[in-house]
Amino acid sequence: MSEPILEVQNLRTYFFTEEGVVRAVDGVSLDLRRGETLGLVGESGCGKSVTSLSIMRLIPDPPGKIVGGKIIYKGENLLEKDEEYMRHIRGNEIAMIFQDPMTSLNPVFRVGDQIAEAIQLHQGVGRKEALRRAVEMMKLVRIPLAEQRAREYPHQFSGGMRQRIMIAMALSCNPEILIADEPSTALDVTIQAQILEIMKTLQRERGMSILLITHDLGVIAEMSDRVAVMYAGVIVEYADVKSLFKQPLHPYTRGLLTSIPSLATRSKRLNVIEGTVPSLIDPPPGCRFHPRCPRAMPICSREKPELKEVGENHSVACFLY
Amino acid sequence: MADRLLDVRGLVKHFPIKEGIIFQRRKGVIRAVDGVDLFINRGETLGLVGESGCGKTTVGRVILRLEEPTSGEVIFDGKNVYALQGEELRQLRRDMQIIFQDPYSSLNPRMMVGDIIGEPLEVHRIATGVEKQERVFELIEKVGLSPEHYFRYPHEFSGGQRQRIGVARALALNPKLIICDEPVSALDVSVQSQILNLMKDLQKEFNLTYLFISHDLSVIRHISDRVAVMYLGKIVELAEVDELFEHPLHPYTEALLSAIPIPDPEAKREKIILRGDVPSPANPPSGCRFHTRCHKAMPICSKVEPEFVDVGNEHYVACLLVGS
Repeated sequence: MSEPILEVQNLRTYFFTEEGVVRAVDGVSLDLRRGETLGLVGESGCGKSVTSLSIMRLIPDPPGKIVGGKIIYKGENLLEKDEEYMRHIRGNEIAMIFQDPMTSLNPVFRVGDQIAEAIQLHQGVGRKEALRRAVEMMKLVRIPLAEQRAREYPHQFSGGMRQRIMIAMALSCNPEILIADEPSTALDVTIQAQILEIMKTLQRERGMSILLITHDLGVIAEMSDRVAVMYAGVIVEYADVKSLFKQPLHPYTRGLLTSIPSLATRSKRLNVIEGTVPSLIDPPPGCRFHPRCPRAMPICSREKPELKEVGENHSVACFLY
Repeated sequence: MADRLLDVRGLVKHFPIKEGIIFQRRKGVIRAVDGVDLFINRGETLGLVGESGCGKTTVGRVILRLEEPTSGEVIFDGKNVYALQGEELRQLRRDMQIIFQDPYSSLNPRMMVGDIIGEPLEVHRIATGVEKQERVFELIEKVGLSPEHYFRYPHEFSGGQRQRIGVARALALNPKLIICDEPVSALDVSVQSQILNLMKDLQKEFNLTYLFISHDLSVIRHISDRVAVMYLGKIVELAEVDELFEHPLHPYTEALLSAIPIPDPEAKREKIILRGDVPSPANPPSGCRFHTRCHKAMPICSKVEPEFVDVGNEHYVACLLVGS
């Protein structure tokens, strides 16, 4: 087993709004190892994106604030560093790609210049050299006629192509960690397959670690080595990908896995998780899943279950275990 | 033969591309739907699947006559939809309803939920006042909401609950056909399954017929009896659901099926990764429209347009590899 390159310990990120304090991330711990892909899966509003933005220290303040915890990257706690240090970390050490490639690219600049700008800024090379590397990066993500297309604008690219540009930009400074926040969600399945394939190949070639955030359990199964399942701001289950899908323990994980329609067989009815995701301003006491849990016990509404190891590489936060 | 509720023949919808502001000239056309044939039997669900921009939503809208077709015929319950006018058309509209993808933009934020669901009843002068209220309460209960929701506004509801409101509105007029345009795509998986179950229950109870439009193949597999696969304005394959998923014939269907990530890390399968992007419907490729991305393309594919033929068992496919 390789050592962790990034450790998140008991991270708590709150948003202070007029309606009250939104506990978007409320005590999340995870570790990303060298060369692996860690999947972070959960439904909308569960705090998975806030976790990734906290790692990059990109939480808008106000209203957001990281109120507790540690983020250890290569032995240093990023939460104690100043903005200048973080600017060096972002891009060079940890890079990020987002769900919507259209809003992440500037529509009035040529694509090649945008990639080159990142290289110039982070690597301290001249403009000409930066442009040359930008074209090289575009070739790496398999954009045909890269020299020519580097001179085009974002609107001249399709959704899949734009996402490749984002990957090219993110990888242009050789980061150790790539945080991919729903990288293929906005894309069609055939294009999604292309993007995932490129990410896998580049990871193999460069040995980088990926933190993959998605709501799609199929993508998780295909890409991840280990998986953290998030619900309402906390991690409820944390395991290697095979045991998670073979033997899900937390009732929420089980509910999720059985509620997706299967491609292989046709069932009469889908399993359902009753109710909806709770508000994070006033989350349920005890286990946050208990109001929707089919196996809730009296203790579940009183005490908060801790994430504990129940098997090899398999932890779960539930009183059943 | 089963009882056909809807019969679509040679449906074409082209959108003009215009240039200039005052003196508009036609520059070309977007061939959104370019010759679609399909039928739906009473009480069944036909799944229509395809990637974004393939024209699946336009098919739904043209069937409802929300858009006028460029050419083609739609026979609904024995009547030619495009020949009807005035009162007859209004009557027909009662029998066909639609559920939209986005539960956030398809509900008027200034109307109470009860009025949203009851509006079709007033528009068609079926019920007003107390009578309308009673019917709405009935509908609210049917879709799994509670009576007090009648007096609330859309912003007070979650995505799944809003989609239930959309379903109730579609049911208000006792329609025969409901066109469901990506009704669960905007929802989280745990909520998605609630809505899919609800739609199945309602179908059984009211003998509804669905045209279910989606890009999600696992949802399509779950809900459909028969499935049509669309690519660039044309249907490339149509078959009974198990037949299509177990024996896909068109290379595009094959590629689509192989590209979906399966929630099983130990599943072993060969992925077919298609080259390039979907071409523009303003200038579709010659011959078979899929030949530019097809992993089985032959020289003839760029010259001859394949016909949509029945290869047996009501399995239709448009590919030169099959049939000839």
